[in-house]
Amino acid sequence: MSAPGLGIVHQAVEYAYEQDWSDGLPVVPATRELTDAFLATTDRDPDEVIGRLEPLRREVTVETAAINAVMAGCRPEYFPVVLAAWDALLLDPTTAVGAWQSTSGPAPLIVVNGPVRERLGINGGGGALGPGFRANATIARAIGLLVRNGLGVRPQVFEQATQGIPGRWAMCVAENEEESPWEPLSVDGGLAPGSDAVSAMLLRDTEFVDNRHTADPEKLLADIADTLGRTGALIFEHAAAGLVLCPEHAQLLARAGMGKDDVRRWLADHTRRSVDDLRAVGKNGLTERGGRGVRVDRPDEQRAGADPVFETDTAQHLPILVAGARNAGISSVVRLFTSWSRISARVETAAEVPGPLMLVESEEEL
Amino acid sequence: MSLDPADHQALFGAFLSPHGRVSGPRGHLVRAARLDGPAALAGRRVGLLWNTKLNAELLLVELGRLLMEQYDAVVTARQAPYAHAVPLDGPDLHSLIDSCDVALVGVGDCGSCAAAAINDGITLERHGIPAAVICSDAFDVTARATAEVQGDPDYPFLTTPHPIAVLSEGQVVRRAAQLLPEVVARLVEEAS
Repeated sequence: MSAPGLGIVHQAVEYAYEQDWSDGLPVVPATRELTDAFLATTDRDPDEVIGRLEPLRREVTVETAAINAVMAGCRPEYFPVVLAAWDALLLDPTTAVGAWQSTSGPAPLIVVNGPVRERLGINGGGGALGPGFRANATIARAIGLLVRNGLGVRPQVFEQATQGIPGRWAMCVAENEEESPWEPLSVDGGLAPGSDAVSAMLLRDTEFVDNRHTADPEKLLADIADTLGRTGALIFEHAAAGLVLCPEHAQLLARAGMGKDDVRRWLADHTRRSVDDLRAVGKNGLTERGGRGVRVDRPDEQRAGADPVFETDTAQHLPILVAGARNAGISSVVRLFTSWSRISARVETAAEVPGPLMLVESEEEL
Repeated sequence: MSLDPADHQALFGAFLSPHGRVSGPRGHLVRAARLDGPAALAGRRVGLLWNTKLNAELLLVELGRLLMEQYDAVVTARQAPYAHAVPLDGPDLHSLIDSCDVALVGVGDCGSCAAAAINDGITLERHGIPAAVICSDAFDVTARATAEVQGDPDYPFLTTPHPIAVLSEGQVVRRAAQLLPEVVARLVEEAS
């Protein structure tokens, strides 16, 4: 038994599934009015091409992004953040040539800085990487729908992820600037402090480092370095990984006088793997197939000598941000698909922002 | 309550499509003319276009060697490895076209490089170079979908059992020998 007339809502959701417009969850079908409300939040031309996937001969516009953002469940005022997230992702050149199709199935991590976090209710506190917050969930999902529907990269056709990654199209966090002892990520990304900004990087995983055991900054960093250097994650000579530090860990390090650059320097210096380690897992590059290992074994190389996993200690290869609650020492290592562009995108909102929109005024609008 | 598809269309046809648009013109279905039988391979210049996937170079170089040994072909172009997901274009494309009569492309052994290998094969065909494209059978769907996007949905490509990257050198050499008859058939068959 259902309320009279409401069956039409379910039919609309089913219709969207029939069109193959969904990532598996229900979508909000995009009407002209709702899409226009999204477009009104930006001064950008709806016809502006904002992305192109040459091998698939597909391109997307500001309007395509708006339609997919509607479908993802965004509110209109989120749309400038969706556009900035897309711009930030496109600064990673792999997004134009193969990242979305990769067997590794990389997942964007979208990081929002500035007052826009509070305006839109983007969570950067407890559960920042988890579910429960509309802006976080739908902004990330909008990017996923834009790749799937807009660029046509569908699972098991052009999207060839071997297993996929939990959290793909679901990771959008605000940086916890209030409890971070350091400058925001967007400052590393080249913008002035206080800017509304989005930074984005492609991840291969997130892995927790639970350390509620020590107040010694070097022991904490050693624990993080151990996770950073595990061989299963190493596929090239050098790696790139980010840290999503909880406030407690960040503050512990800051109290010891460390800035983000100091943390990076320590980790780059101490995250090491010996050729013996790599030989034990078949990644030393000396097989009958020829030298394509993580690190190629050379006769003059000290077998027990441990080489650094990180080539440099820059924010590009070791970005650091702070997110989560101040209730435990639980941080995350996030392994990067390539590296961070180190350029943050500014959130640009229309000069004249429209008033609040009644999303659905009546059923007759359908 | 259930509605038939026609009712759906009437009620919901006004929903906006989230699809992007096709960029640029879809290519015409043009394939290069094939050589007139295996004997015609004698003296022909074979271009090898391998990607950075493990064993791709070894497989193509071995196939080139077999074509020289058994068909008197000449391997002239060993294209330097290029980024595995970027379609061949510009000077790289033209230097390959100028230096070969037929081409071997591969190995389509990842999500994006299977697409790139098909793109490159079809591009070469459109420039008059018959191409044999080799993909891992794990990427059959991607490869076929790419051919469709490129306007040549039936473009024939060769598949070889996955995985390729972990094969030993001896296994790659045997794989090349197994593929050889199909490669030759692709280069000499009648143009569609």
